[in-house]
Amino acid sequence: MKQIYIHPLPVRIWHWINAIGFIVLIATGLQIRYMDLAQILPFKVAVDVHNWIGFVLMANYFLWLGFYLFTDKITVYLPEMNSEKYFKDSWRQIKFYGYEIFLGKVNPHQPTIYHKFNPLQIMMYQIIMLLFVPIQFISGLLLWDVKQFAFLIDLFGGVRIVDMIHVLMFIVFSGFLIMHLYLITLGHTRFAHIKAMLTGYEEVDEGGKH
Amino acid sequence: MKNFLKPGWLALPSLRIRLVLSSLLALSLAFVAPVALAADVELDAPELACLKCHDKEGLKMKTQKGEVLPLSISTKAFIDSMHNKTSCEDCHDDLDEKEHGKVPSTVSSKREFTLKMSDTCISCHKENVALFKDTVHAAMINGGSEKAATCSDCHNSHTVKSVKIVAPIDQIPCARCHEDIFKAYSKDVHGLERVAKGKTSPTCNNCHSAHEIKAASFGDALKDSCIKCHKDAAPSHEKWLPNSALHFEAVSCPVCHAPDAQRRVNLRMVDSVGGKQLWEQRGVPKFERLIKTADGKEVGLDEKELRSFLKEFNLESEGPKAILSGRLEVRSGVQAHQLSEKEKAIKDCKVCHQYGATPFQTVVLTMAGPDGRPLRHGVEKEILSSLTATGTMKGFYAIGSTRVKLLDYLLVLVLLGVACVPIAHLTANRLFKAKREQLKAASNKDQS
Repeated sequence: MKQIYIHPLPVRIWHWINAIGFIVLIATGLQIRYMDLAQILPFKVAVDVHNWIGFVLMANYFLWLGFYLFTDKITVYLPEMNSEKYFKDSWRQIKFYGYEIFLGKVNPHQPTIYHKFNPLQIMMYQIIMLLFVPIQFISGLLLWDVKQFAFLIDLFGGVRIVDMIHVLMFIVFSGFLIMHLYLITLGHTRFAHIKAMLTGYEEVDEGGKH
Repeated sequence: MKNFLKPGWLALPSLRIRLVLSSLLALSLAFVAPVALAADVELDAPELACLKCHDKEGLKMKTQKGEVLPLSISTKAFIDSMHNKTSCEDCHDDLDEKEHGKVPSTVSSKREFTLKMSDTCISCHKENVALFKDTVHAAMINGGSEKAATCSDCHNSHTVKSVKIVAPIDQIPCARCHEDIFKAYSKDVHGLERVAKGKTSPTCNNCHSAHEIKAASFGDALKDSCIKCHKDAAPSHEKWLPNSALHFEAVSCPVCHAPDAQRRVNLRMVDSVGGKQLWEQRGVPKFERLIKTADGKEVGLDEKELRSFLKEFNLESEGPKAILSGRLEVRSGVQAHQLSEKEKAIKDCKVCHQYGATPFQTVVLTMAGPDGRPLRHGVEKEILSSLTATGTMKGFYAIGSTRVKLLDYLLVLVLLGVACVPIAHLTANRLFKAKREQLKAASNKDQS
């Protein structure tokens, strides 16, 4: 096994702030929306924590954005422009997670610091980071002060629509979190990927196997 | 000036004699000197002449409707009144000196008489009378109301005192018509303070501005009245209440400050451009007519019926489209006057922000009637949490309590669906264990 440095420190800081923040946002969001089902926190506390963490994560988002925009590591998010190769690589990855992994085969994607994501991850993270997360932040910001952003809220069709979008994204992120928590256990050991996100180093087989 | 009293008034012979005598007396006195009946007020001879007859307890006449119209005026009360320097003729200049008290006067009804006398107030009180014309009372009078207050219903012209010295709350004239509300007020925080602290605490006029009074449920005038005295209300709410500006707009003050009141959702019909409340035109009862068409069973509008009602309403309208603007309010004027001390106000968000919260169990659709008073019709509460009602209800949303149920089902579905992935994957992994180990053993054998 050799150690490959694939998670730079700013990315790890961003990731763990994001991880804790999203869990708190989902938990407080559930509390705010479902006060009638269970009350663990007072409504006001849940709203205040939700708002504060929301702002922390917005600032954190710019840490991520700044890092990738102003360093050459942006390549990790760049998709394959050759569509035939892209679909081929994607299918190879689907095949691996859907079948080959059960046979103990090696992950066809070999991460490096410039290409750490497989094609499916690139697609998924692009959608999440460039579409879903901004939508969630903007809708959350509008709901944080409905009167101040009344003009924008009206533009989007009213507070009810904005809230629905926020909740839809919340459902997406809740689903994503469960999937993410499972997929990170599919390294060469159950904790290999988690360890890599803590130390920055991913263990890769000398012969190119993870 | 219009004729005040027609022939027939003061038909009793004794009164006629008295009137003649008092007139003669007044004339003689007029040439002598004014009479001083109070330390700083002197009544002139003509007034004394009138009071000579009218200062008699029980003096009255019957209207054509058979009502008793009191005619007695206490000289003392008149001298103590704000009108003590106003001559009788200033208001009653239509009286025929020769016939008054001699020829029977006819008054069709007390209401007609008071309305007619109100016309005389404008000669001195131009500003207030002009303001009054835009009030709910004036609008009701124009609509033919027999009960709406006119000048003399609140201000007895012969005993009227400065509002500045009317301290005891039992003298407040509003109580005569709004008795239930006044009773509630007299027991709430303002009423009790009024008794304890005197005029520093508000009475009806301070919030409702008697000469500018609008229907209490109309617009935001009452909220502005609260803020006029409670100047720190906005900043102090901002300190603890998230989205406080929105709460100020969508929740009426008594909803939280009358903790024992029952609450409801009021869907006001407003114009889509300026957000102003829509008024029903006098004589064109569009709201009630279209409601009847939409809600045939008269059990309250469901989502489809509400949509159809708004569609029909807008088809018949020429101006901006009617949309709904929701707010929380208490259910009656009495409850709006059950305000408590600040410490007892509701601060528990859960009262409203949870599914099934009581304020969201009653929903009404409201349009301002021709006089500004609300025309209401019930709406089924299910509309508040319906996804398909989003277009109709887009301006109203309360976290938790009006949450869209379909999104709850979607959340459960997604979580279950997503949870199935690791379960299926782990199960498959276990099922392939033997095969995996077989392949691994074969691979090790090859390598060795």
